[in-house]
Amino acid sequence: MAQSSKGKLNYRCPMCFFRDLDIDMFYDKDKKEYYCLRCQYVGSEEDVLAKNELIRIKYGRMMDRITDFD
Amino acid sequence: MNQTFAVNIIHRPEMVPEYAEKVTGQGKAEDIGRKALLTESLDIFKFQQETAHKNGLKTTIQMTYASLFNEEAVSIAKADHEKYGDEIALSLLGLPCKEFREKYNTKDFCIWMFSMEDKKRIVDDVFGKFHEIFGFYPESTGSYYMDADLTNYIKDKYPSVKCAVATCWEEGPKAYHTCNNSWYTLFDGGPWNPWIPSKQNTHAPAANEAEDSGIVAIPHLSRDLLACYDGNGSNFGTHPQNVLRGMIYDTKTWEYPYLYNLIDQYRHLEKYNNGYSYNMMFVGPGWLNKMGRWEAPYELLKKSYEDGMAYYGELKKEGKLVDMTMAEFADFYRANKTYEEPECALWKDILYGSDKQIFWYCDPYMRAQVNMDQGGAIVDLRPYAAKLKWEVGIGTPHVQDASYPFLIQEKYRAGYFTHYAGEGTVRSAKVCYNGEEVDLCLCRTHARFEQDGKDRKLILDPVDIEFYDLTVTLQTIITFTEGSSDIKIERNILKMSNPDAKVTVNEYMVACYGTTEYPEDMTGITLEVSGSGKSASIDYAYKCREEAIEGGKLATAVIPAIETKVSLGTDADDAKAYIREGYAFSPMFTLGVEKEVSEKEVVTTWLSLAKAN
Repeated sequence: MAQSSKGKLNYRCPMCFFRDLDIDMFYDKDKKEYYCLRCQYVGSEEDVLAKNELIRIKYGRMMDRITDFD
Repeated sequence: MNQTFAVNIIHRPEMVPEYAEKVTGQGKAEDIGRKALLTESLDIFKFQQETAHKNGLKTTIQMTYASLFNEEAVSIAKADHEKYGDEIALSLLGLPCKEFREKYNTKDFCIWMFSMEDKKRIVDDVFGKFHEIFGFYPESTGSYYMDADLTNYIKDKYPSVKCAVATCWEEGPKAYHTCNNSWYTLFDGGPWNPWIPSKQNTHAPAANEAEDSGIVAIPHLSRDLLACYDGNGSNFGTHPQNVLRGMIYDTKTWEYPYLYNLIDQYRHLEKYNNGYSYNMMFVGPGWLNKMGRWEAPYELLKKSYEDGMAYYGELKKEGKLVDMTMAEFADFYRANKTYEEPECALWKDILYGSDKQIFWYCDPYMRAQVNMDQGGAIVDLRPYAAKLKWEVGIGTPHVQDASYPFLIQEKYRAGYFTHYAGEGTVRSAKVCYNGEEVDLCLCRTHARFEQDGKDRKLILDPVDIEFYDLTVTLQTIITFTEGSSDIKIERNILKMSNPDAKVTVNEYMVACYGTTEYPEDMTGITLEVSGSGKSASIDYAYKCREEAIEGGKLATAVIPAIETKVSLGTDADDAKAYIREGYAFSPMFTLGVEKEVSEKEVVTTWLSLAKAN
């Protein structure tokens, strides 16, 4: 099994991001999956992107343009 | 100063951008002199400069040590200074380069972490090189953090320096954790907006000319004053790529209204600061890497920078923004601010949808956060009155930790809520009636701001406290007085469902000291309660002891480790003052004042801070 490398984009682990950790993932080309060195997350690019969308649920007003700051 | 939104835009030609070597160099042996890296770095710098100028904005070019060896970077700086009025300044960031490594034989790159001897050598080297290239000494400098000894040395040796980037707000243990415990920028507890640092401690503003370090400090980025306090600070600032780092954008449309909301909330702070508000944007070239940054491709990084600059440019065209170089800003700040004028920020959640509201106050004597979602509890308190000398760097007791110590920090030492046993740090009150007790921390509300002469008042909306057979309507007013190290808190009993009832208001402060999440040794702390000609004291020994005095007026703690004295007092003759020692599982102390009150009566207490020698 060859060594892992960074992917074409340098994805972070979505599960670690959920707990405020920025951890770069590495890509295992034999298994065609990204994996986290710190936690047990593994996933395809599609799964990473889907989880990255989920992350945004915490930002309830992410897309609101706010004009009243009182 | 009416309605002046001052903005500093800073660029640094960093020949080896932070992250770039790690990111673009993955799979290659380290080589910080790679030609591809240098070319890319210069391209990023040129792009940033062009984008600012295209939008009619002037910049401060903070030359790095490495860039002083690069003829193209130097000539761009000279040309842009001539054409656009950009300031040529000198950063103490961006030290890493072949020349630095060979000369100093180290991979250290954070100026505040070097020994004092090395700080002086490096400063003299960098400033000397700058003078050799440009023929003058800079007026502005900076780093992520500038410790007081470093600033004092620079000001003494290079008096032309009048402005410096001197801290990054609440970049401490949270940033460390976010970076997998590998990013050692530990400097919580400073001001979020520009200030004049004292000679004793960078974070603590100078109270007078004698304490004045001689520079105006600006923060590294303008950060979200609510989101950064709990979350990763580097996701929530006026740094477009930070917003991308936080994934606060629509992946399909690449829109990020939060960035504009954040800028606008900063603009709104003029309402609490005599018409003045401030912003700074300082994007290091590593954030515009052509390889992309994490899941954001280069095109998105570029777009976000262009959009950020375009928004500032648009505000400028509308007459709502004044772009300044750092040196110009320092002059403006000194002309318009006094030493004791506080910085105030009534701040609301603009990201999560919680409707939470907090208030930050900062002056030469304290930095405090009041949380309206917890009934006006003080949930963060830094006793600047102590002007604590806190040397930083190799050879000092604090090699990395530059944070100003707290007395209260609700995230690192809990707040109202603790698990199983013990107490967390908070300044709140409990209302007690017939064996029932309600803490105001559970009374969610909002506040408005009023300025009355030297008083800044936070007037909270009244809250209802419901007991089994009594409802009490209570209003809290918190007053900070310019030039004073006291916080006055009034609890007005506006109404009771039984007008003849009496309730007891227990004003308390649970505190400790520290800079991180982990407890410090409380041994050495002395607690004292006094009043009515009596006094009692406790030398802290984790024995869970308590002393109280009927008719007592003052409860005090002296914390030698941070040279701080904190008191909770009242002028009422019929109160009870008390002190409580903690224990090993709850390494805190409590200062309190209890008073019985009826409808229409007020309980007034003062929290006071002083230096304990």
